[in-house]
Amino acid sequence: MDTATVGQSFAHDSAAHHVDGKASFIDDMPEPRNLLHAHLITSPWAHARLTGLDLAPCLTVPGVVAVAAAADIPGLNDIGAILKGEPLFPTETLDYVGHPVAAVAALSPAAARAGAALAKIVGTPLPPVFDIRTALEREDYVCPPMTMLRGDVDKALAAAPLRLSGETEIGGQDHFYLETHIALALPADGGGLHIFSSTQHPSEVQHLVARLLGMPQSAVTVEVRRLGGGFGGKESQATLIAGVAALLCRKTGRPVKLRLDRDDDMTVTGKRHSFLLRWDVGFDKDGRVEAVDMLLAAGSGWSTDLTPGVVSRALSHADNAYFYPAARIRGLSCRTNHQSNTAFRGFGAPQGMIAAEAMMDDIAHHLRLDPLAVRKINFYGPGRDITPYHQTVEHFRLPAMLAEMEEKADLAKRRVAVDSFNAGSPIIKKGFAVAPVKFGVSFNNPAMNQAGALVMAYTDGSVLVNHGGIEMGQGLYTKIAQVTAEVFEIPLNQIRVSSTRTDKVPNTSPTAASSGADLNGMAAQQAAEIIRGRMAEVAARKFGVPLEDVQFKNGEIRSGNYHISFAELAELCHLQRVSLSANGFYRTPKIHFDKETMTGRPFFYFAHGLAAAEVAIDTLTGEWKCLRVDILHDVGRSLNPAIDRGQIEGAFLQGLGWLTMEELVWDKDGRLLTHAPSTYKIPTARDLPADFRVELLANADNPEASVYRSKAVGEPPLMLAVSVWLALRDAVASMAPPGARATLDAPATPERILAAVEAARSGVR
Amino acid sequence: MRNTITTNINGRDVTISDVPPDQMALAWLRAEGFISVKEGCGEGDCGACTVALGVPTADGLDWRAVASCLLFLPMLDGRAVLTAEGLKGPNGNPHPVQQAMADGFGTQCGFCSPGFTMSLFALAHHDRLDDQAIYDSLAGNLCRCTGYRPIIEVARALPNLAADPGEAAVAERLRAAAGAALFYCADGLSFFAPTDLREALAYRSAHPDAWILAGGTDLGLAVTKRHQRPEVMLSLARVPELTRITDNHGSLTIGAAVPYAEILSVISTRHPELAKLLRRVGATQVRNQGTFGGNLGNASPIGDSLPALIALGATIDIAAPDGLRTVAAQDFVTGYRKTQLAADELIAAVHLPDLPPGELFRAYKVAKRVDQDISTVSASFRLRLENGKVAAIAAAFGGVAARPVRAHRLEAALQGLPWTAASLAGAQAALAEDIAPQDDLRGTAGYRRKVATNLVTRLWHETTNPTEFPVSLDRL
Repeated sequence: MDTATVGQSFAHDSAAHHVDGKASFIDDMPEPRNLLHAHLITSPWAHARLTGLDLAPCLTVPGVVAVAAAADIPGLNDIGAILKGEPLFPTETLDYVGHPVAAVAALSPAAARAGAALAKIVGTPLPPVFDIRTALEREDYVCPPMTMLRGDVDKALAAAPLRLSGETEIGGQDHFYLETHIALALPADGGGLHIFSSTQHPSEVQHLVARLLGMPQSAVTVEVRRLGGGFGGKESQATLIAGVAALLCRKTGRPVKLRLDRDDDMTVTGKRHSFLLRWDVGFDKDGRVEAVDMLLAAGSGWSTDLTPGVVSRALSHADNAYFYPAARIRGLSCRTNHQSNTAFRGFGAPQGMIAAEAMMDDIAHHLRLDPLAVRKINFYGPGRDITPYHQTVEHFRLPAMLAEMEEKADLAKRRVAVDSFNAGSPIIKKGFAVAPVKFGVSFNNPAMNQAGALVMAYTDGSVLVNHGGIEMGQGLYTKIAQVTAEVFEIPLNQIRVSSTRTDKVPNTSPTAASSGADLNGMAAQQAAEIIRGRMAEVAARKFGVPLEDVQFKNGEIRSGNYHISFAELAELCHLQRVSLSANGFYRTPKIHFDKETMTGRPFFYFAHGLAAAEVAIDTLTGEWKCLRVDILHDVGRSLNPAIDRGQIEGAFLQGLGWLTMEELVWDKDGRLLTHAPSTYKIPTARDLPADFRVELLANADNPEASVYRSKAVGEPPLMLAVSVWLALRDAVASMAPPGARATLDAPATPERILAAVEAARSGVR
Repeated sequence: MRNTITTNINGRDVTISDVPPDQMALAWLRAEGFISVKEGCGEGDCGACTVALGVPTADGLDWRAVASCLLFLPMLDGRAVLTAEGLKGPNGNPHPVQQAMADGFGTQCGFCSPGFTMSLFALAHHDRLDDQAIYDSLAGNLCRCTGYRPIIEVARALPNLAADPGEAAVAERLRAAAGAALFYCADGLSFFAPTDLREALAYRSAHPDAWILAGGTDLGLAVTKRHQRPEVMLSLARVPELTRITDNHGSLTIGAAVPYAEILSVISTRHPELAKLLRRVGATQVRNQGTFGGNLGNASPIGDSLPALIALGATIDIAAPDGLRTVAAQDFVTGYRKTQLAADELIAAVHLPDLPPGELFRAYKVAKRVDQDISTVSASFRLRLENGKVAAIAAAFGGVAARPVRAHRLEAALQGLPWTAASLAGAQAALAEDIAPQDDLRGTAGYRRKVATNLVTRLWHETTNPTEFPVSLDRL
């Protein structure tokens, strides 16, 4: 396929203005006349019955203009994203420390804060639950248990020559987008509302605000130009922030801004789910798996939120790259009195994969085999290609990718070198691990796999594109512009992508599940093709040639010796009363999924990745260092290689942070202690592996008909960081007696690593 | 005495007279329309609010990256500020740093990008010896999107920027306008920045409740995080006696209000191990503002610098109304956030002796993250070995008690013993009595105990090197 614009490494469309201050975020917009600033009033208890709420004292603070609580909500007090039952402001129970119960609007942020501090919340404390194990004992779930089943697992387990069980705990993760949550709600013409929201899901904000305020959806417009990072944290969570701003705007008739500072953002909003992973595996003497029984228990926090989707995706990735002849994978969504955990890059898949990868290592250590050999023998392959959800794995690239990496990254030699270093080195131990990633692309819920776009050409040849996707740094607008430019064969600088608005493209899906370019790119391509078709007809008539002889090339439309510029043709179309505006709509083909049986083909295709990590640990302190990481990642035929590489590198480091240094700590009363960067440590520049080699898989057109044969790239590379966690386990395992395995939970902080070292030394099997 | 703030923002002279002195530069700059300066955390840990602060020098401005969220507005007095809006290249084109960031895929969501740009701008005006210097200069800027690789590559390729010749005139104007002491009042709050120590002490005596401000990297949090308002602030940043480093040939006297960055430039060859530790105090933005005086004065149980100062035998000069008194570093902090300082006294200087020949010094910091993290445990050791025996040892720990402590029992247990593995066990048992760690979000008491103990083992390995293998991660 020959393309002019697609496949080139064009700079991010806002790059120049990111660095001169002109790329503005919501808090940077000029503030409207009469603006009020809002502040949340939040629960001091982790769990309590709400018996009274007195907001009158708030109004005594100079500058405070209004307060709002559940009673002020004119419509339905519910912002549940999947299931109902999540009030904007609670009326019966308070379910975590930080649970918003009301809000204040004032002339300044300081006055709003001071007013909020005077609210009197009356409650009767109830016993809280803070950990997954307790919730499991109580069988308290935020949604019904799920089971993915293939084959007769009990029989196969009983028949397997060897059997091993294991368990690991994986902590949550704060998104730590640099721009905290914000919404600005303005009264609009005819009693409507215009909301600027830092959301990945403008349609959901629109629909739920309309329901909350008892307004038609058509009266609420939500607009987003860019987010200062999202990572899933601004999918369902943004509705709360926008909902409060909208409610206060409605109540006062004035514009209202609600911006959470870092402490409030981290205290109030949900995070990546923590998980308790248990597995029971039967295998043969070569390490080949015969049957797997897994339990993936998610720490959901107080409400349902997106947990059903997260757990479903965890289950569908607990195979990762491996064939399980028989499998039972159960998912439990445990209710705890913490923030309501939500979407986060990977959406449960990373935790599911970790179960598979930890299991592979344990099998290898048990059999004293090379962990990579055990992985290879369990890879999907011909005749061994049915997933636990009954989708057939097609176009599986990992064996070939591994062969390539074995050669380029000297895997076998380095394995030996690490082992020989460890045999002599008394204090520092090295670890080495190779981890594959197979990630299913498409929302698990088939209905969400749709998108719309609106493309408009103007008479000077400039083109404006709108679509349902959100630009949050991933370069989506740039990719969409490239796709549109490709269709028209015009220079990229003739394309402008404008802010995402619910009044231009309705009923959109969130920008999530790595779907942004796949879905919206296809919709934009289709819209552009409609216009190009009309323009081609006009050109054919003008040239007096058959339609099929008209070519768009290098900004011109040609046929034989005839040519006309794109701008001239656009002008001509207008004179001939031919529409230069079109809607595109795309729905992903081939996919289906039965939620009851948890079977079907939920994924259009798989993205693949492979990482080899080499680390060193200090066995005196548990400190560690990442020495080298090699990555080979499958992005199909890249729409923009530099942007894709940026996604891979950024996702990898974010995953590394999650699994090693980002530790969420709550006190015994359920107060989050790590609510700002002074206490919650995400990776810095020095935490990048000293030797970091990233390659995109070459000649890798997507066999499925995706947008220009590219593959989704937002989430899959996050899981490449599992290699680092496995390498740390490998370093710890080097201190254990032969046949014993390492136990290391995540995040693998120095304290956990040192504890694992001590356990390995003492020879616990 | 002056009562207005004189500064220069992006090349324009500005005077300020009606903004409360507890307003941070970040909020003020944003209100003035400089929206490239972003709030990411309000505690100097994320770098999104980084601006370049121009400190007048003999021939121009010395540009330093600082966190504007922790910069009380009067701290701009006599200084120039550059934000991303003010960066320009020749002919109005983007500045080379901006161009490199944009072309090099150094931005994704863009929220942290102006802050990175200003850190890179400051870096381009200073020596970049190696990647370590690059990491040091970027450690205070968090990016959640890129994974940093493109930004590091931009930093490696940066041209060395010559000073803009026009800056000499700006420096001259700032010096001329802001020579005298500043007494700034607005909104009922006052801020006094005297230019001599006697005035400072007199004001301190008259206002014992005044907030004492050096670099503001800790004090600012009282405003941005705890939402307190200071009625009276006393800034020491302009007091000559407190802002200079004196070489006594055999020791250094480091003024209490000298920023870490300046201390580092003096001690990097004289105290390389201490310099290694101080490079892990905060990040560049914090080190450009933060001081020994502030770190000692807030008397944290961890105290980044204090364990090292104790082990090195440093003393602390305290300025009282009736003259200077000197206390040993180990005696200065008396309990949890308590010091020897009386209500009319100020910390004047740290007196840091050179390491005597034949002695070695090691400072260890263990934290969840290498850069800009607070120690879970820190340990500093000064050791003299003679004929294979411990002739002298001084050891101090942070993060293991209510205050940084000297490990007297450990020292006594090792004194005179052969420096062999066999001597360690007894000493480590003694250390257990020196410390009383607690659980907190950075680690459990048990972990702290184990690490404190094991750091003695590390010292032994580093000083005896029994195998050819590296014994610490920095050597990999």
